Amino acid sequence: MTPLNPTTLPDNDNVPDNAYAFCRRLDGQLFMQTGRMIAYYPAPGGPGIRFEPLTAASVGGFVAQRFSAPLYTRDWVVATGSGHLLLGDRGYDINSYDLAEGNLTIRAANLLAFDTSLELKQSIVPGFLTLVGTGTFLASSSGPVIFAEPPIRVDPDALVGWADCPSPSHHYDARWMTGFLGGAMGMLFGVQSGEERQFDFTGAGTVLLQSSEHAVADPHLLRQLEGQVGTLSAPGLTRLQQVIQQRLGAQQY
Amino acid sequence: MQAFRTNGSRVLAIDLRGDAVRAATGSMIAYIGEVTFRHAGSGGGDGLLAGLKRRAAGESLPLMTCTGQGTVWFAKDAMEVTVVELAGDTLKVESEQLLALSDGLRTDVAFAGVRGVSSGQGLFTTTVTGHGAVALLSAGGPPIALEVSPQFPLVVDPDAFVASRGQLNQTFVTDVSWRNLIGESSGEAFSLRFDGHGVVYIQPEER
Amino acid sequence: MPFTKVNGKVVTATVAPGREVLARRGAMLAYTGDVGFAPVHAGQGGIGGVAGRMMAGEQVAMMVAQGSGTVHYGFRGLHVTVIELDGSGPLTVEADRLLAHDASLQATVVFLGSQGGIRGAVRGAVSGQGLFTTQLHGHGSAAVLSHGGTIAIPVHPGAPTTVDPQAFVAHAGQVQADISLNASWRDAVGRGSGEAIQLKLTGSGTVHVQASEQKL
Repeated sequence: MTPLNPTTLPDNDNVPDNAYAFCRRLDGQLFMQTGRMIAYYPAPGGPGIRFEPLTAASVGGFVAQRFSAPLYTRDWVVATGSGHLLLGDRGYDINSYDLAEGNLTIRAANLLAFDTSLELKQSIVPGFLTLVGTGTFLASSSGPVIFAEPPIRVDPDALVGWADCPSPSHHYDARWMTGFLGGAMGMLFGVQSGEERQFDFTGAGTVLLQSSEHAVADPHLLRQLEGQVGTLSAPGLTRLQQVIQQRLGAQQY
Repeated sequence: MQAFRTNGSRVLAIDLRGDAVRAATGSMIAYIGEVTFRHAGSGGGDGLLAGLKRRAAGESLPLMTCTGQGTVWFAKDAMEVTVVELAGDTLKVESEQLLALSDGLRTDVAFAGVRGVSSGQGLFTTTVTGHGAVALLSAGGPPIALEVSPQFPLVVDPDAFVASRGQLNQTFVTDVSWRNLIGESSGEAFSLRFDGHGVVYIQPEER
Repeated sequence: MPFTKVNGKVVTATVAPGREVLARRGAMLAYTGDVGFAPVHAGQGGIGGVAGRMMAGEQVAMMVAQGSGTVHYGFRGLHVTVIELDGSGPLTVEADRLLAHDASLQATVVFLGSQGGIRGAVRGAVSGQGLFTTQLHGHGSAAVLSHGGTIAIPVHPGAPTTVDPQAFVAHAGQVQADISLNASWRDAVGRGSGEAIQLKLTGSGTVHVQASEQKL
């Protein structure tokens, strides 16, 4: 294993022979999700590299214009400086993507970093973020990301993101639901534990898939839901409690 | 000396011909032939002094000695296996990322400074010295070997550090100011900076 | 045969009339075309009255994919290994490590307790997944799950292969798996109470072992 150094590391590509680590040459600023930096070489003679929360005054006013995802601000930092930055994410495959006046929506947990020339917004689909504009970003996936084209139906946990095509709609497989266990469980719309519900994509574009690890509750989704629970009345709360109990009961695969 | 070979990227296979090899306790997944497995003594079986140091440090390096005739396969938690050859020099390695070492190598304990203090890792690393092969484990993908030299100082996330060798000077830098602010974030509030001459091995996943 | 590897964690299967695919519930990641999914209770006939309540908890619900189209299969980011059965012997795999298989293979669910009482039950408990194993017979392919991927180790007559039960995924061919105790094993395996127990495979075939001692 020949050791690498800044002259042999790529400027914007996976570390040689390693799909799970990425090297990005930094010269300026980059939005990055916390916990993904594994090492860096500060450029010789330079100011080094520092990583600051989005709220830090020293970061710069551009943050407010570029980062419109209030639920996620605590998970992101700005890396400033020059050098070679190495990133890794939970043993996931990492890829670089170019957007040219485009848009791409991606699961928040799978977005690692993006150029400050791009704009980030929260998608109306909970747990997803949309990137708009021109620039490069880094995304991870459990195993190499799989590209597919609509029309296609995707298990919600397997969806990484989509580009150019319209946002998906929900598809409920009625046959599956009424058939399973004689229909008793099937009739309850709240139960989503297998093949009952998929995201339905149509149109022209690209869909990104993965075999995801068991969906750990997205903490942002949880906060969103908790915030909304307060708006329910007593009958609504009772109904919600039933749905939660059914979901918990169906969790054992 | 046995040949350490890998079967795929996550399994180490060693052929024993009446000789012995040391490996992390619990890492054997299969074997064919007549092989016995013995606890390698407290402290990795390298003498009373190393054992005492280890107990004092609270660090444990449970190793077992595998002896016999046959083939043994080793793996741990689906981590990637990389074999590194030592030619009389010393390798410092996180003890839980050491899979196996050939019989001629000597192990010891070195003080690693306050690295790992908040993550609950030991304050000590394991050092391996001599001539032979060491099988390292890397979480999240193959390990990355990074050169350190006067023109290329290196900064590393402590939770990604696997091993190092050479004449290296390790210091702490506070470049990651977000960690002090976010209560729920795990990880060290500092990074490790390496200067000098040598190689640092990191893994693509933070422990 | 109908399983195409997309990457280490995902396979696709082309479903057509007469070529259905059986898969565990939750394994479908995406599909194109006109494919319907219906539940199936694998091997129900073979258990008889013994299973009863046990089945509901232990068994893995299976679903059959029918119609015309392509289905992507995977499960929770686990590695997938495709194994071809050439008819020389059954493939025995822990029920919840079976991702999917050709509907042309006959599946029987074996309650391990029926093989020699306590020994059988201990074997199931020790290999970590419970008391039920699925046996697949015939010609066709199956996809199995593992933590970190599997390696295939041959089992030759006269040279038994010994395996850490927690790393055991499946065996194929004319292979018998038996459980025994080995005092020195405690150092070898080093984990929990099942330490001293090993799985010994004899006969002629292949054993598939994962690169980890973790349960799924």
